[in-house]
Amino acid sequence: MKSLTIEHLQKIYFDPFANKQVTAIRDISLAVEAGDFVSVVGPSGCGKTTMLNMIAGFLAPSGGQIRVDGHAVHGPGPDRGVVFQSFALFPWRTVLDNVAFGPKMRGVPKARRHEIAREYLALAGLSHAAERYPNELSGGMQQRVGVVRALANEPDVLLMDEPFASVDAQTRMTLQEELTRIWEQRRPTVLFITHDVNEAVFLANRVIVLSHGAVRDDIAISLPRPRSWDALIEDAGFKALAARVLQQVRAA
Amino acid sequence: MRRPSRFAAAAMFMLPLLALVVIWGAVVRAFDVSPRVFPAIEPVLKAGVDAIRDGTLILHIGASLGRIALGTLIGIVFAVPLGIAMGTNRAVSTFFTPLLRFFSVLAGIAWIPIATLWFGYGFGAITFVIFNAVFFVVAYNTLLGVTGIAMSLRHAAASLGATRWQLLTEVLLPGALPNIVTGVRTGLGFAWRGLIAAEMIATNVGLGYMLFVARDFYRTEVIVLGMIIIGALWLLIDRLLLAPLERATIERWGMVRAA
Amino acid sequence: MNAAASVSPWQRLWGAYVRWSTHYPVLAALVPFVPVVALWAAVARSGLFPPVFFPGPVVVIQKFGTLMANGILPAYLEDSVIRLAAGTAVGLAIGIPLGLLVGLSDRAHRALWPVLLFFQAIGDIAWLPILLIWFGFGLTTMIFVIVYTVVFPVVLNTVLGVRSVPLELHRAARSLGASKARVVWEVVLPGALPNIMTGLRNGLGFGWRALIAAEIIVGTSGIGFLMFDARRAGSVVEILLGMIVLGVLWYIVDSWVLAPIERATGERWGLVTRRD
Repeated sequence: MKSLTIEHLQKIYFDPFANKQVTAIRDISLAVEAGDFVSVVGPSGCGKTTMLNMIAGFLAPSGGQIRVDGHAVHGPGPDRGVVFQSFALFPWRTVLDNVAFGPKMRGVPKARRHEIAREYLALAGLSHAAERYPNELSGGMQQRVGVVRALANEPDVLLMDEPFASVDAQTRMTLQEELTRIWEQRRPTVLFITHDVNEAVFLANRVIVLSHGAVRDDIAISLPRPRSWDALIEDAGFKALAARVLQQVRAA
Repeated sequence: MRRPSRFAAAAMFMLPLLALVVIWGAVVRAFDVSPRVFPAIEPVLKAGVDAIRDGTLILHIGASLGRIALGTLIGIVFAVPLGIAMGTNRAVSTFFTPLLRFFSVLAGIAWIPIATLWFGYGFGAITFVIFNAVFFVVAYNTLLGVTGIAMSLRHAAASLGATRWQLLTEVLLPGALPNIVTGVRTGLGFAWRGLIAAEMIATNVGLGYMLFVARDFYRTEVIVLGMIIIGALWLLIDRLLLAPLERATIERWGMVRAA
Repeated sequence: MNAAASVSPWQRLWGAYVRWSTHYPVLAALVPFVPVVALWAAVARSGLFPPVFFPGPVVVIQKFGTLMANGILPAYLEDSVIRLAAGTAVGLAIGIPLGLLVGLSDRAHRALWPVLLFFQAIGDIAWLPILLIWFGFGLTTMIFVIVYTVVFPVVLNTVLGVRSVPLELHRAARSLGASKARVVWEVVLPGALPNIMTGLRNGLGFGWRALIAAEIIVGTSGIGFLMFDARRAGSVVEILLGMIVLGVLWYIVDSWVLAPIERATGERWGLVTRRD
């Protein structure tokens, strides 16, 4: 796992309806250390998804630099894995083939990549679903597949774009706990975008608050690990941190 | 619900048709229908046997199937890449969709007069009409299919390391496949009708021709024979080839078609 | 990488186009044809194909004017449209009740479904020879063909629609006091309406094609006759004109009349249609 550095990221685009240039991202600089878990929160429209799309390489920045392990990156690539809010599983491939997709792109032979896929499916407790198609699975299970599919490709950095926003509240809590468990085992470098303040604090070591296309605050989360909702939901330290982050987000 | 075996399903399908044949025979006999109006069963069978024996039936069926196979194949080979190429760029696809829609709406029979002018009577004109019907409809549907693929799927493939070629074969083609299959089914429907119509007008071999020339001689048994063969052929093509293809892609993958 | 603060003229043009075409969707449908017509004119002028085979847009427009002025085009158009309308009306009158019957009765479905599929497979055009023997080269033959063509998509889609009405809706209506007949009228028919619209749309799509083929073969009047008669005379201008008229007419009817109605019934009532 590698570090992720963003320097003075900027995004300006032309809106045909307003007939003028619009600034989506003014100036964002942040650094994520190798193996760290950072959450990014902010009100709707603050630019967090735009930022993630630029880091992932789906969108070209208007200014600034993105570095992975110190090297500048352009365009999408397997070094930056992505987990999507809409899951983005390939409906025509089985769960196993979805998870094996990354290795397939790299040319890993079939037997080996299926082995890798099964290993990661076991990590998420999905071994029994290997031969199913995505449309046969529940939302929560689909997103688990989404997460391990990205992980199975062993990216340098893992980008997560509001991945649990499309599942129900109870499944969301389960997935969050699973994510922290997987993270503690594998220690990927994670940048996690969300609008849910509690989720951000629960998962991360650092919470960054965005507003109007720039960084507003950077809060360290020193809660002990492993983390579980049963323990933290009434924890004073957790509640204080969440309140602080919320205050920053609302003031933005 | 237990699905009946394929054999049982086929039998259930044939039963009403066999009943129809029985009714046919009975009605012709009971009302003493003139053979110039509608044939009895035996003359039709006899005409069939004769035509097989002297080779004309095989000739006509072969000509028709040959034309449709060739026209369809060429049509698909050109239409799918074109549709995909147009679909990958949002601006290009938005711009060209009405155009392609217009041509797919016009496809097939309406081109018969100009096809016979450009290619003369015969194989070329007919195969062109078939190609035309399949090409535009499949290109339009492919375009719809590709533009219907969620951007997130393309992004997912890119962030998993797919090259442009891999993106094409692993995402765009499978993603557009249900629409492509629908396009092939619709286009083939237009092409089949275009084939029969064109063969009545513009050639001297083929099932349409066989039907039309029999009319001149009031040989209703040949006409009915031809109609049954045409119906059976299309049923075979549609039910044994196209519908299963559609089911296998769309239903298994749970994908929604763009209308 | 620079952050452009100013807007390029191309962006302004694209912005204007996007705004206009949102207000006037007609624009989005028409503008793409401009380069095609321009290309057509260029190819025709270049002499790549002899003008006998490939006339330019100007000649076609002139011929359009002539045929409109001397009343031939309106007359042929009227003939074609009347035949199509009559055939469609009869097709609906037969197809919807038949579809209701087959959709509602399991026995009727088992008995008739394969028969319907088989006769649909024969196709409208293959009936022309025997129709010519029965009815000769006249209106009856043509109407029959159109009716035949329209009936099958309508029946098949009606059946689909009828069967997609959930059993619970039937039961709800009955438990609210509706008789079986009322259930059909008040529940099944509206429930199947989106699918019926799809069937009508498909039926017309095949229908006008069958009309053209019939007009070519039966040959008395109509757009199909116009095109084929011109072909016999070796004049390609009327052929192209006929094709354009057909294409424009059907494009307008399908995109701006049928498709919106199909969408409106389906979307307004939250029902899903399936293309068949």
